[in-house]
Amino acid sequence: MFKTAFGRQFFASVVSVVALSSAAQADDVFKVGISAGLTGYAATVDRAWSDGVQTAVDTLNAKGGIMGRKLEVVVEDNRSNPQEAVTVYRKMVSSDEVNLFASGCVSAGNAAAAPMVAKAEIPMILCSILPKDAAWAFTTLPPAGFEIEKRFEYLRDKTDIRKVGVLHDPTPYALLQKDVAQKVAATYGIEVVSVEAYKQDDADLSVQLSKMQAAGAGAVMKIGLGGTTLTAAKNLKQLGSPMLLLTSLEDLAVFKPVAEVLGDKFFFVASPSQVYEVYPDGGLKTAIGEFLEPWRAKFGDRDPNWASRGWDSIMLAAKAIEAGQSFEGSAIRDNLEKITGFQGTTGSYDMSAEKHQGISTNPFVVAQIIEGKVRIAQ
Amino acid sequence: MDNISLVLQSLISGISIGCVYGLIGIGFCVIYNASGIVNFAQGAFVMIGGMATSVLMTDFQLPYAAAAIGAIIIAGIVGAAVERLVVRPLWNRNVAIFVMILATLAAQIVIERMAYILVGDQPKTLPPVSDLPPMMLGGVAVNIQSLWILASSLIIIAALNVFFKTSRTGKAMRAVSINAEAAVLQGIPVSRMLTLAFVISAMLGAIAGILLTPTQYTAFNVGVPFAISGFIAAIIGGFGRPLGAFIGGIALGVIQSMAILELGAGFKNVAALSLLLLFLFFRPSGLLGSTR
Repeated sequence: MFKTAFGRQFFASVVSVVALSSAAQADDVFKVGISAGLTGYAATVDRAWSDGVQTAVDTLNAKGGIMGRKLEVVVEDNRSNPQEAVTVYRKMVSSDEVNLFASGCVSAGNAAAAPMVAKAEIPMILCSILPKDAAWAFTTLPPAGFEIEKRFEYLRDKTDIRKVGVLHDPTPYALLQKDVAQKVAATYGIEVVSVEAYKQDDADLSVQLSKMQAAGAGAVMKIGLGGTTLTAAKNLKQLGSPMLLLTSLEDLAVFKPVAEVLGDKFFFVASPSQVYEVYPDGGLKTAIGEFLEPWRAKFGDRDPNWASRGWDSIMLAAKAIEAGQSFEGSAIRDNLEKITGFQGTTGSYDMSAEKHQGISTNPFVVAQIIEGKVRIAQ
Repeated sequence: MDNISLVLQSLISGISIGCVYGLIGIGFCVIYNASGIVNFAQGAFVMIGGMATSVLMTDFQLPYAAAAIGAIIIAGIVGAAVERLVVRPLWNRNVAIFVMILATLAAQIVIERMAYILVGDQPKTLPPVSDLPPMMLGGVAVNIQSLWILASSLIIIAALNVFFKTSRTGKAMRAVSINAEAAVLQGIPVSRMLTLAFVISAMLGAIAGILLTPTQYTAFNVGVPFAISGFIAAIIGGFGRPLGAFIGGIALGVIQSMAILELGAGFKNVAALSLLLLFLFFRPSGLLGSTR
């Protein structure tokens, strides 16, 4: 092909330059790994979270990236399964060599992978609850008690109901909320008369609901994600039950058919972004507005709740990187711990070495869907 | 609600969900009777029934009945496709039955993924066939949709009984199941019987899906749990016996409900699998005796 020595040397030089420049480009990219349940029970929320992360990355990249370095998202489906989550985490650590994890809401999967990720010194900013050893993990999730307390507040202030049943799935976050409910109910003058579990693929919850009704519950506090909220609503109607249904945070797309079944007997915990239009003006609303602009341009009126927290995870990382002027994992971790007063879309984040769950003021409201419109419950 | 009412209410709930398991179990029996194959894609047909009806109603604005018929036809076509593309090539190569059974499991996953790609992952539901409040008997509520499921199941069982025992096609399908080679020698078009069995089974699965979705939600991934419950129902009842599968389904539903009532939801599957093991150990031919 190349008959002269010069030709061969020239070709070798070109190949070397191209290879070096590719390697340099690859080094320049800051990789964000996402372990998300794109399928399975957490699919609705984790897909939204993942799209929120991507929206934040696109927005930052359009402005030149972080300190001139572009971001790239690597997303892997853990099928809402903890074992699968460990596999995808391992793949992203060893093959993709990600620099940061912004992972979804499958708590057990994040917890199972946390020791391995910590060993690799990669910071994690999560949608889920924190793993036991949270030295390298941070969460955008408000404390588990917030969702419970808001519902108890509503029942205490707006209804005569003083006995409730708690219906929960077996995920760590749901179990945590269940424990909080049992612990704090009395401080609201409410008694938890029945605690029942279910699995995310259960086809019928009517026995659990009948037990609650028999125990005298006036309302069901459902804790958990997925279509079972719809099953619970249908079962309540089939039983002719007068109990109210108050559910934890979920995608509005799941709630709309539930509201069609139960009407004004259905309440849910909503994040500020889910009730943006009717939320009072202030820093929080401004922060949500900054996120909603690119989000709505791309996804229309799709539920912004989990996506907005995915957005927050990247903005928190950007803040930590810029503060430390470093992309090193340990520097990002240290500077995440120093973040205070950061206005995110779910609330204000105040981190510290001891506190990796930054939101400390309850941002939630209890909402309803009346005539297809989301409203703050009165 | 007193204790007796609670037990009765749980019993009614168990019977209601048991009817669904039974209806799915009947689908297993039809294919088994015609081919000796246990079709683990049966859950996918249940999913198609609910999902396709919902999509046809909401996206194509079809009335409920037309959407339901459309969904049953779609399920029948998918059933034929599973037989032609997955089972038939293996059948023609005389592979072991368990290979074909595993292939149907793979088909289940493929159908599930395709449903996810086509209609997304949002849960869907259907309105009740008749939007009436539950019948109250004392303090016990009887859901009207469950009566629809019960009545439909009994009609289907009677129709299948007549079909397999009196019609030429039904008898031919049974003959294929007993001895395919002898059936060929008798001039029975074996491949056509096999296709027909998958189509009927898929349609029955879709009917189950259409009837049960008004009582809960459906999504692309609901098929497997239903298939497992339907399979257990069919074993308890005696594999190949539609009436047995139906009774087995009710037994399964009632056992699960009583386990939740007395022991808690964590014991629901323990109770179901214990019942299955008991039958496998002490009466493997099931309540009514297997067809083989």
